Amino acid sequence: MAAAVPAVCRIRAAAAAAATLLLGCCGAALTSSIQDQAEQFFRSGHTNNWAVLVCTSRFWFNYRHVANTLSVYRSVKRLGIPDSHIVLMLADDMACNPRNPKPATVFSHKNMELNVYGDDVEVDYRSYEVTVENFLRVLTGRIPPSTPRSKRLLSDDRSNILIYMTGHGGNGFLKFQDSEEITNVELADAFEQMWQKRRYNELLFIIDTCQGASMYERFYSPNIMALASSQVGEDSLSHQPDLGIGVHLMDRYTFYVLEFLEEIHPASQTNMNDLFQVCPKSLCVSTPGHRTDLFQRDPQNVLITDFFGSVRKVEITTETISLDHDLAGFASKLPKDELATEPLKYAEQLPVAQIIHQKPKQKDWHPPGGFILGLWALIIMVFFKTYGIKHMKHIF
Amino acid sequence: MAAPLVLVILVAVTVRAVLYRSSLAAFISERVEVASPLNAWKRVVEGLALLDLGVSPYSGAIFHETPLIIYLFHFLIEYAELVFMITDVLTAVALYLAIQDFNKVVFKKQKLLIELDKYAPDVAELIQTPMEMHYIPLKVALFYLLNPYTVMSCVAKSTCAINNTVIAFFILATIKGSAFLSAVFLALATYQSLYPLTLFAPALLYLLQRQFIPIKLKSKSFWLYTMQYAALYLCSLVVIICLSFFLLNSWDFIPSVYGFILSVPDLTPNIGLFWYFFAEMFEHFSLFFVCVFQINVFFYTIPLAIKLKEHPVFFMFVQIAIISIFKSYPTVGDIALYMAFLPVWSHLYRFLRNIFILSCVLIVCSLLFPVLWHLWIYAGSANSNFYYAITLTFNIGQILLISDYFYAFLRREYYLTHGLHLTRQDGTEAMLVLK
Repeated sequence: MAAAVPAVCRIRAAAAAAATLLLGCCGAALTSSIQDQAEQFFRSGHTNNWAVLVCTSRFWFNYRHVANTLSVYRSVKRLGIPDSHIVLMLADDMACNPRNPKPATVFSHKNMELNVYGDDVEVDYRSYEVTVENFLRVLTGRIPPSTPRSKRLLSDDRSNILIYMTGHGGNGFLKFQDSEEITNVELADAFEQMWQKRRYNELLFIIDTCQGASMYERFYSPNIMALASSQVGEDSLSHQPDLGIGVHLMDRYTFYVLEFLEEIHPASQTNMNDLFQVCPKSLCVSTPGHRTDLFQRDPQNVLITDFFGSVRKVEITTETISLDHDLAGFASKLPKDELATEPLKYAEQLPVAQIIHQKPKQKDWHPPGGFILGLWALIIMVFFKTYGIKHMKHIF
Repeated sequence: MAAPLVLVILVAVTVRAVLYRSSLAAFISERVEVASPLNAWKRVVEGLALLDLGVSPYSGAIFHETPLIIYLFHFLIEYAELVFMITDVLTAVALYLAIQDFNKVVFKKQKLLIELDKYAPDVAELIQTPMEMHYIPLKVALFYLLNPYTVMSCVAKSTCAINNTVIAFFILATIKGSAFLSAVFLALATYQSLYPLTLFAPALLYLLQRQFIPIKLKSKSFWLYTMQYAALYLCSLVVIICLSFFLLNSWDFIPSVYGFILSVPDLTPNIGLFWYFFAEMFEHFSLFFVCVFQINVFFYTIPLAIKLKEHPVFFMFVQIAIISIFKSYPTVGDIALYMAFLPVWSHLYRFLRNIFILSCVLIVCSLLFPVLWHLWIYAGSANSNFYYAITLTFNIGQILLISDYFYAFLRREYYLTHGLHLTRQDGTEAMLVLK
């Protein structure tokens, strides 16, 4: 009996030791995974998401552009961005167009499988309000005070913004409403203004037009990633017509992007590299392009939901996690120079003190000496010719 | 006579100073009747500002003043109001002195003709007496200084006032008999706005008369004097133009000033006849009609010279009037100059036939100009036809005024030599008709 007890005790002790060891290991592993997850929490620098979705063409035969924009709207809303953070600009009303055989619907698949119009669409800029000026005002924030909140892009320096534009374009421009154009230079300058006013953290620019790559050629502000449906010199083609509705329903690139996005859910870990592969030449006929040189992070580490969704990472844990001062992931991925904030200050004020004292303007131009000499010599000659030379002695 | 003149000058200067400080100054300087593209003050300031920025003021179609004006205002731009008041005063004084001398000349000539028995016996009431002629110079100065047109032109700081001063000095020099000074001032006036070129003929006629050179085409002394005067005039013009080249070291001012005056590219409405016509003309014909309109200014010189060769000062008056009616960008400042001469011909009053209608037309049209401008531009209920109708009526009024005075002058001359009571061959009363 005595031998059995110590054996049991030994086994228990061993089990207990193994258990504590295991627990210790698990605890360590758990802590480290929590550490990892905490690190992941800081992987992206944004705290809120915005989307600006623009369709620039009007007329019934440009149905596909409205369908493009509405599909992206649908995905973005489904993934969590609320309507208050979406600025949707549609240049024409297809759902209620008199030529629409199915009123109040906009379909993206033939055979009318998917109605992207839905019943909770909120269009912020409709019809003739979609102009280059309004678009640039939305981006830069230079909006008259009477504009309602739903029409404003109230982003801050921790916002990730998705900008999607579709319509008819060419080499260096995008046509708005058949009457005006926005050029790639203007767009680049608008983004630079946004950067200088700290209106975005990161920006994803997607454009689905002919020669779309020309629109992102001129960007020069940091933290912009751009995708386009076709290179310079190529046309973006539409996907398929629907014989019931009578027009092409979608463009190819956005069709495949929509198919891709339908697979994404808020917890997906799919990254941008997958988005870059979305529409190969075999499916799209044109060659989609992308530009990541201005983007600080590696596209491998950028989640789709960083831009297309509004994902809040919430982890509930009772563990105490100590955050190291130098969280390895955080420091190395964010460079020190561009994002390092110089203290933001107001623009140079007018030199009021100088203006008040109104110093007389310095005249920079003076008549040449030869002219003055010649003129006065002539005048003196005329004077003496008229009044006689005898007056000379009064002068000299 | 100096004291009343000084008083008139003081009153005029006060009126102008008061208007400068009132809110009307800004309103008046923008009126198209007062400021034309050629002489608006805004353009002078713009040109000088361009010069300060290092750009030639003649680049672009803003500035159409001559380089001498640039030189003048470069130093005097802060005292612009004073400058314009002084130019008005100088014009009035020059006209005063000129008309004083002219009266003496007229009187002397009249005396000569009476002694030579050239006048008919019953024309005593037509002869001018020194009593009634005593106040004419003062009236001329008064008419010029207190004419609302002059005051408006001065308040608007239009450089037309400077042109008027130069022409007034030219008239003074001519009447005093100094060919050299008259040629110099005429060259200056031509240099600034091309049209005083036509005043060469009356000045020449006057100087010939003064030198007692008969105006016969075969006379050698006539041609000699003409050549001398023409040479003086042309040389001074060439010297002034060459001197202007040295201000900015470029010939840019020639197309900007003279090209602009002659080719009338700017069709802003004004009180002239060019703008409406050319606004609706096809490009194909515009050169032809520009030539026609410009010839119209110069065309009357030769016939008037032939008819009025005995009366060159009246010729000068008619010529100045024709210039201010038919020039490409007239303003009310040009009108003010010839209206200043009207007191000189006040003895013609009994022969004027339409003076009441004409004065009503002129006054009413002047009042209607701003009304119809407002209706056209601001209220939108009229159009350019309305404004052009008033322009046409105004110019018709002026033309009728001139032709009325012309007719009255010729009629008086006829009566002086043929007697007041004209009879036909059979003894019944005859009527004098202008054919």
